[in-house]
Amino acid sequence: MNKWFKSGAPWIWMTGGAVSLSLIAVLGLLLLIASRGLVYFWPSTLYQWDLVHADGREEVVIGERYEWEQVPLERLEEAGIQFEVEGEFVERFLVKTGNREFVPLDFRWIWQPTVVTERSPVDLAAFERIRNGNFYGYPIAVVIDGARFEGAAMESQMKDAIAQSNALAAQANELQSKAIGQINYQLEQLRLTERKLALNGQDSEAALAAIAVSREALNQEYLVLESRLFALREQAADDHVVVRDMRGESVSLPLDQVMAVSFPNRMNLWAKGRWWAQEIAKFLSSEPREANTEGGVFPAIFGTVFMVLLMAVIVTPFGVMAAVYLHEYAGNGALTRFIRIAVINLAGVPSIVYGVFGLGFFVYMLGGSIDALFYPEAHPAPTFGTPGVLWSALTLAILTLPVVIVSTEEGLSRIPSSVRQGSLALGATQAETLWRIVLPMASPAIMTGLILAVARAAGEVAPLMLVGVVKLAPQLPVDGNFPFVHLERKFMHLGFHIYDVGFQSPNVEAARPLVYATSFLLVSVIVSLNLTAIAVRNHLREKYRSFDN
Amino acid sequence: MLSIDTGLLSTHNRDLSALTPEQTAFEIRELSLSYGDKPALNRISMKIPKHQVTAFIGPSGCGKSTLLRCLNRMNDLIDGCQIEGQILLDGDDIHDKRIDVAALRRNVGMVFQRPNPFPKSIYENVVYGLRLQGINDRRRLDEAVEKALKAAALWDEVKERLGDNAYSLSGGQQQRLVIARAIAIEPQVLLLDEPTSALDPISTLTIEELITELKQSFTVVIVTHNMQQAARVSDNTAFMYLGEMIEYSDTNTLFTTPAKKQTEDYITGRYG
Repeated sequence: MNKWFKSGAPWIWMTGGAVSLSLIAVLGLLLLIASRGLVYFWPSTLYQWDLVHADGREEVVIGERYEWEQVPLERLEEAGIQFEVEGEFVERFLVKTGNREFVPLDFRWIWQPTVVTERSPVDLAAFERIRNGNFYGYPIAVVIDGARFEGAAMESQMKDAIAQSNALAAQANELQSKAIGQINYQLEQLRLTERKLALNGQDSEAALAAIAVSREALNQEYLVLESRLFALREQAADDHVVVRDMRGESVSLPLDQVMAVSFPNRMNLWAKGRWWAQEIAKFLSSEPREANTEGGVFPAIFGTVFMVLLMAVIVTPFGVMAAVYLHEYAGNGALTRFIRIAVINLAGVPSIVYGVFGLGFFVYMLGGSIDALFYPEAHPAPTFGTPGVLWSALTLAILTLPVVIVSTEEGLSRIPSSVRQGSLALGATQAETLWRIVLPMASPAIMTGLILAVARAAGEVAPLMLVGVVKLAPQLPVDGNFPFVHLERKFMHLGFHIYDVGFQSPNVEAARPLVYATSFLLVSVIVSLNLTAIAVRNHLREKYRSFDN
Repeated sequence: MLSIDTGLLSTHNRDLSALTPEQTAFEIRELSLSYGDKPALNRISMKIPKHQVTAFIGPSGCGKSTLLRCLNRMNDLIDGCQIEGQILLDGDDIHDKRIDVAALRRNVGMVFQRPNPFPKSIYENVVYGLRLQGINDRRRLDEAVEKALKAAALWDEVKERLGDNAYSLSGGQQQRLVIARAIAIEPQVLLLDEPTSALDPISTLTIEELITELKQSFTVVIVTHNMQQAARVSDNTAFMYLGEMIEYSDTNTLFTTPAKKQTEDYITGRYG
């Protein structure tokens, strides 16, 4: 035993064990959020349960099974619930019943002993709706342009009608967000121009008349578009589908509210897989609905990536310049050492402190001054003097600055002095040596710093809550209106979305799988950002490899 | 094995202190140098003749590399380095405030102990100095590359792969590439700081032959700790010891009839 101890083998086992533990922790976490998040999109079997309650009341429940657990009998007795069963446990399961506007709760627990029969009829359908979540029931008929279809005709008609109404909805949406949005934007610009002229004392009759003319033209255009929008909306409004729900009543669902219909009990594995992929694509590409508990997360993905890229663009030059000064120009005195320690310690400041700083300095001081100087016409509404994507990127840039500085400095100090001297001996100045030799050779280290910075910044939420993130941003920071990139706008962020959906949501059960899905997505976004940077770094490393062979 | 080309030497002015300004590349006057409190060179005076190879020999730490690095002011890079005395290049003190250090280094090229190519292609390594001077005309650069690589006896080995990374060359080839890089900007003087100490015997031989070729166009100053090498390649040799210039004369004299006992002890291997 003693000999084994001396051989060093325990040390190897201990270190190896530490590595395996870390690996298991990381993989376990990823597996958990991936499975929980991705299963959400899988079309789960729909059941009909016929229940008889303890008091003899009969009930039918339709829905999908969400969760299952065992409750000890003792605890039930304490709670005053009695079941005549053998054993120590009673099973119960959570059912998503949907039909939110017709039932008091769209999630409910069902006690296994109350279940008389459990069936999964093939005719059960799940309707995905724009408002009020899913609807489950047996479709009876579909009414299109006043004509009523039943049976086999109904199903094919319903499919076409839903596709058509989706197309109309997409058209209406396009019209509303693009064309009408643009007119609104231009009207706002006109208002600001008018106000600016008034402020500068240039509001001559002619100028005002010109503005009035263009405003009138825009208003006319607006009316035309609006009537087209209403026409589009009306087209689909009368069509509806009649569904028998779990109460046994017939409910008519307007087709313009239905986004998709599926019969999960009829689907084979292949069809379910296709449906799953479609749902994921929808999740990635569409906007959130119903206070973020339904729909997709596209604006949050866009906001996260846009903000992180903006931050990278800001932090890289600053960090590299600071590192170059510290390493190349500043002498190695006490002051330099103090500054270096201060920079390293900056990385340990809690991120919320940066958020407070960003709010006070960037938003109120800088943004407020910019507003006062350049946007007096918008006053008192703030333009830059309010949280926005630019201030978020700047705040995170400061937060990640130490990381970039430290790794760049490390890269600079690894460059052999012989190569610098070689350049100097050829008549290069220190600056030329820096640009042509030192910085290119240090670029892999700079990329490493950037990778660490991106990894840290993409996951930060706390400071962003103060300087720019919102629950729902009506417009992306990039759109078709001049100047196309609107850095003053607020944005959505996946990290904040997780917090919002998980903990601020009105419907916690409905939102829970979305939390997992969004978490998995956030991790994937960060990993893919990092992989891109790592690929770039490896390419650079290959280019500047081995100074010492 | 000392093989000294006495035929060549006989045409030279043997008294190195009596060189005329036209024959002198560097004139060093009373040069002292210290790193902080530590003296490294003590009142050194010498004249280095043009278009000849001058070698500095001596035991490790005797200041021969320091003296060499004074000649293109590479010691400026070292903190706490103090210099007194003068070094005249073409009659001008190189420590004069009006002297542009970059221009001086373009005029006085240097090759270091270990090959230090840049992490660029062979071609870009050679044209580095030219690009610094703002020369980007492709045809001129091509000509300069061919000329410099031929002068450095490397052209035939690399002409097919000028775009390859310089690190793909062997150590000896890298050192010749570095020499080509230095002579591409056509300096007057070439300083070689133990250019073969990191190389194998065959590469060393190639470089030594090259040095003999180079003195047609350049003044060469070489530091070496290999006495045979000094004897083989140089026209004049300076023996230094503990920061002092002990003896400086033409190589033939120094190796056959040294004036000082210390020199004799060193070249016969009694210390050092």
